[in-house]
Formats: sequence, structure tokens, C-alpha cells
Amino acid sequence: MKIKKGWIPIFLLPAVILFLLIYAVPLVMVFVTSLFDYRLTGQGMTFIGFDNYVRLFHDPDFAKALFNTVIWIFIQCIAHVALGTFIALILYKKPKGWKFVRTAYMIPNIISNAAIGMIFLNIFNPQFGIINSVLKAVGLEHLTHNWLMDSSTAFPSVTLIWVLFAGYTTTLVLAQALSIDESVLEAAKVDGATPFQTDLFVVLPLLKKIIGTTMVMAATYMLQMFDLIYITTNGGPGKTTTNLPLLLYGVYKGENNYGYANTIGVFIVVIGVVAMTVINKALKVNDEDY
Amino acid sequence: MKRRALAILLLGVMCLGLLTGCGGKKTEEPAAGTSDDGVITINYPTFQCGVNTAAPVVAQLVKEFNEEYAGKYQIKLEEIPGDANYVDKIKVQLGTGDLPPVVYGAGYNLLDLALAKDLVVDLTDIVNADPEWKALYSDAALTTNSRDGKIYASSVEGSVVGYFYNKDLFAQAGIEAPAKTWDEFFQQCETLKAAGITPLALDTADSAWVTQLWWGAMVATASENGLAFMQTMNPDDYNFDEMVAAVEKVQKMLQDYTTLDAIGGKYEHAANNFLSGQAAMIANGPWMIGDFSDTSKTTADFADKVGSAIYPDNFVYDAPIQGYFVTKQDDPKLEEAAIAMVKFFTSAHAQQLGLEMQGMVPASSSVEISADAAATYPLLVEFLSQASEATVRSDNMQATMYSNLLDVVSQELPRLASGELDAAAFCQALTDAAAKN
Repeated sequence: MKIKKGWIPIFLLPAVILFLLIYAVPLVMVFVTSLFDYRLTGQGMTFIGFDNYVRLFHDPDFAKALFNTVIWIFIQCIAHVALGTFIALILYKKPKGWKFVRTAYMIPNIISNAAIGMIFLNIFNPQFGIINSVLKAVGLEHLTHNWLMDSSTAFPSVTLIWVLFAGYTTTLVLAQALSIDESVLEAAKVDGATPFQTDLFVVLPLLKKIIGTTMVMAATYMLQMFDLIYITTNGGPGKTTTNLPLLLYGVYKGENNYGYANTIGVFIVVIGVVAMTVINKALKVNDEDY
Repeated sequence: MKRRALAILLLGVMCLGLLTGCGGKKTEEPAAGTSDDGVITINYPTFQCGVNTAAPVVAQLVKEFNEEYAGKYQIKLEEIPGDANYVDKIKVQLGTGDLPPVVYGAGYNLLDLALAKDLVVDLTDIVNADPEWKALYSDAALTTNSRDGKIYASSVEGSVVGYFYNKDLFAQAGIEAPAKTWDEFFQQCETLKAAGITPLALDTADSAWVTQLWWGAMVATASENGLAFMQTMNPDDYNFDEMVAAVEKVQKMLQDYTTLDAIGGKYEHAANNFLSGQAAMIANGPWMIGDFSDTSKTTADFADKVGSAIYPDNFVYDAPIQGYFVTKQDDPKLEEAAIAMVKFFTSAHAQQLGLEMQGMVPASSSVEISADAAATYPLLVEFLSQASEATVRSDNMQATMYSNLLDVVSQELPRLASGELDAAAFCQALTDAAAKN
């Protein structure tokens, strides 16, 4: 059937208008206001050029928040996606109870982050939390900690709250794995490949694009992460668990400094674009063929 | 042809869909202003709703105001549960210059933010012309609600804060009375600890309300310099000897004299530890008195076990809570209505109502405690009597520090408790954060 391509831009128009109004215009405003001394306590906005950006690169709190954000993106893109993919590779062989596991593993992902945060706040509670209670019960009292408020354990403890729940990754990778043509797997079997070799050299390469997509999702999830950290540690102790969104919120709410907060916002957008570009290029997510 | 027509129709529908929400019917209720029947509506956003202790008082005042000014003024409550949500909303509205006609400053110093934008109505002439209203302003209330000699706000509630102790736990440890000096206080902590009792209910999260009360009391009573610091709005230097010494004691409190969950814990954790008898003392205001007889929070006989005290070295927090202020409006009639509301909400009657309904301390010392209130809140009467004997007074540290320091306190106290920071480094962190304002 012949497609009249002239209609395509016209039908794209509503979406483009929506994008411009809802995302592009505010994004431009965020960038423009980042060039001003713009505070709630001030009488107006004073143009200061790139002074906020200069402050950004001399701000130790920003350096720490950036470091934490980047580390969390790496952890999420590697450990979280690897775990989700590993579970998908087990489930696609449809072992007994695979549907139950698929559903059960998804449950934490459909609970709101606020509820998850409260649950883990109680799990890690130093006085009556389940972790310290179990450690005490098995005679390991010396290992008990104030997990979320000790600088040595806060970062890994907060990370554990989300890194293990890879339900979305599992679901997406599993859907792709289940769509692999049986003949491909049979051919590998005929050629004498073991199940492990089939997974490693046949199935995984065929899943490269969806894994790339889940990595992009994981990275953006980390760039947006706010509520779980806010509820459990509020970025503390010190700045141990502060990421860029939390820093932005602190500058906006505490210092009432909208200009500098928007500067951090611009940087978050830049990191997001860089992260997506790197992942897309590395895994050739947008290539036409495998 | 039909397909093309359908395509154009669909495109038109999509474009119309985009515009949906941009226009549409105006809301039924006016945002604020005069309605067709001549009644001026004051939309009043408040966090004093739901489970907030002041909610019944505010609801009653709204009801009485609407009755008294029927046909002229009407208040419509906009409920915003949670103090932080309320502050966020007001800040956003400040950013757009579109504040509600009446704002309650509460403990969040919203007055200065609104003044910085020149959005507050000067009440000086109106208050001075009204002897009844003027008489309700104590010196402290004038200080809290005035800037540069001009009155901008009016308080309804006082903030007289000491601490509560569990008489049974004190008796178990052989302690007969609250400490008169800080040395005696820390000795009592040791005695309680030796008896297997956790001396203090503390917190570090949400700006560490309970902990900072002890901390500020130690600063205020350390010297004239410490007291001057406590009476300074938005201090920017925390690097002085009295402060470092007080922080060292806070560190000891967090390390040796409190529950495990205090580090990272919120006020609710501290309150629960005191109400459940797990800790012997908690610093807090009289608004907590109602909790002592609330059987959903503690045992039926708990109220009988609680005693009140002012801090060692004769100190008590005593500063009216920043009150209601009127914001500049395009419609002068709306401003008049807002002024009438502020006057009504901070009148002697309103303060008496708060006292009788919820045990709220009146902002004005001229409002006497009625026999009914005394019978309902005997601990309040006992505490106010003790507070009247205090010789050192100031506002609390949380109310005077820059707002960005509230988070810094919560983030750095756990490091202070773990020993990762010493007192000097903690004070430096606060000074550095203050410099960002």
C-alpha cells in the first residue's frame, strides 16, 4: 500500500505542539532563569551570566551529589539490569511456577515509592528493625548497625531498597525472550550447544536491544530518584546519600535560590542526554538490525 | 475523498483536544473577592486541619467569624494537610506574587519572605487605633510581629517550652526533682542510665525539634553571648565557644543518653519513646499535654506520671509564635475583610478558645487561664507557673536559623553522634551553610 508521507508531519503536529508547550518551553525557561540571581527573598531577577554554573563547579555538595548520582546510574544499569535479565533468562524456559514468580517479582514495582520507603525505614530501624533483630537472634549483635544513618552503611543500604526489584526489566526482557523463534533455539541445540551456551551466545545477543532499552530506563529512573531517598535518609548522614534531584530540592526549599536550583536542573538534563546517548551508542539500540 | 475528510476531522479533534483545559467554564466559587450578593470571600489556606491540634480551634473560629460577619464577609477554608506542604504552597505563591489575603506565619518565618516581596499590609496604624487589639501585644509579641518599628502581624499563640519527665522513672532511679543546673542534669542522666533507664527521648530528622530544644537551652544559658545568639534572627556564625561546648554535650546526649532509633528518628519516634515509658524525659511544648491522656497513644494512667519543668539554669523558651498577616490585594475591600479576620482570629476570645479547646498557650499574658481550662489541663497550669519563675528566656533555635540549616542539622547530627564529626566541625558545617544565604 502506498503511504502518503505528506500526512505524517500533520499528524505529528499535535504531539509536537504538546511537547513544545509542556516540555520545551519550561526547559528553555529553566535554562534562562539559571542565568539569573533569582531568589524568593529578592525583589526581582538579576542577570548574572554563568555565575551559577561557576558556583556549581566549585560547590562540594554538588560534586558529592553528582558522584552519587553517577554511581547509582552505573549500579542500576549494571547490577539491576543484570539481575532482571538473569531472572528473565530463567523464566523464559518456563520452569514450574514461572508465571507465579513473574507476577510476584513485579509486585514491589507496583507499590508506591512512598510505601516502599516506609517499609524499608522500618526494616532498617536500629531499634526494632528486622535486620538488627535477626542479627541479634543469631548471635551476631556486634554486626547490628543504624544502617541508614551510619555513613559507612547508608549508601549501600539505600541502594538495596531499589536495586533488587528489577521487575520491569524482567518483564520486558522476558517478553522479548519469549518472542525468539523456536527454530533458532532448536538450531543451536542441533549444533550441540549446551543450555548455558545457548543463553550466552544465542539468546543474549538477540536481547541486546531490549537490554539497552531497560538500561536507558534504569538510568533515567536514577536521574529522577527522589522520594525513596527523601523518605529514608533525606540525603544524609551528611551528604552521603544526596543525589542531584535532592540537592536541587534542598537549594530550592532551603536557600530559596531558584536560579541556582534551575542550574542544577539544567545539569540533570545534560547528564540524562549524555547517559542515554552513551547507552544507545554502546548497545546500538537504535540500529535497524541485530 | 471520504478518507481525507475523516483524516481532517480527526486532526481537528486532536487539535481541539489540545486546547481542552486551556479554557472552559470558570470555577463556581470566586478565588477571593466579592460575589454577586456582595459578600466578600476570603479563601484561607491552612495546615491547621485534619489531625493538627489547632484544627478544631480554627474550624470554630471560622464558624464564629462567618456568623458574625454574615452577609458581609465569608471565610472559605482550603485545607492543606502537613506544615511542609503549606509552607511549599505559600512559597510557590510568593514566587508568583499571588498570596492569599491572610497568611499564618507560624514557626516558618513566612512574614520576612513576604516582606521581601513587599506584599504585606502595614497594620501599625490600625492596631494603634484599636486599644483593645493593641493591649494584646506584649513586648515579645511586638518583636515577633514587627519589622523596623512597623506592626505587620498578630499572634494568637504563645510558645512557652520546657520539658516533661516521667515521675515513675525518676522515682525508680531515686531522683526527687528536675535538675536546677546543667551539671545536675547530666548527673541525673547518668543516674537514670545506671538504673537501666534511657534518660532522653531525642530525634535528628525533620530538623531535630526535640534535640535542638536541649541544645538551644544550653547555648542560651551558657553566657550573655549565648543568649544574644539565641535572640538573633538568622545568625550566620556558629563558631563560638559556647556553641561548640553545647554541641559537645548534644553529642554526648546522642551517644550515651538516648534510644537507638533517635539517630535518624523523627519527632514521632521521640514522642513514642516517651509516651511508652522507654525514655524518662522529652523537651516539648504544652501542646503535647493532650497526648498524655490520649489512650490511642499511651496508657490510661500515663498523664498522672508526667511532670513538667523548665530547663536548668532557670531557662524557658518563651516567644509568641509569628502570627497572621494580611497581604496586599488589588481589591481594598478584600484587604479590609482580611484585617477583620486577623483581628478576630487573634482576639482575646480566640486565644481563650485555643486555651480551653486544645490547651494552647495564649500569645497575650492578659488572657487569663479560666477555671475550666485549669481543670482540663492541670499540667499546663503547673508548667506556666514554673515558666513564670524563669529568669532566662529566648525564642527557639529552629525559629531563628536560616531555613536551609534545618536540613543541614538533620543531616549532620547523625555524623556528630557517630563521632565522624566533632563539635567544631559540626558548627563549621552550619556556618558554611548559613553563608549560602
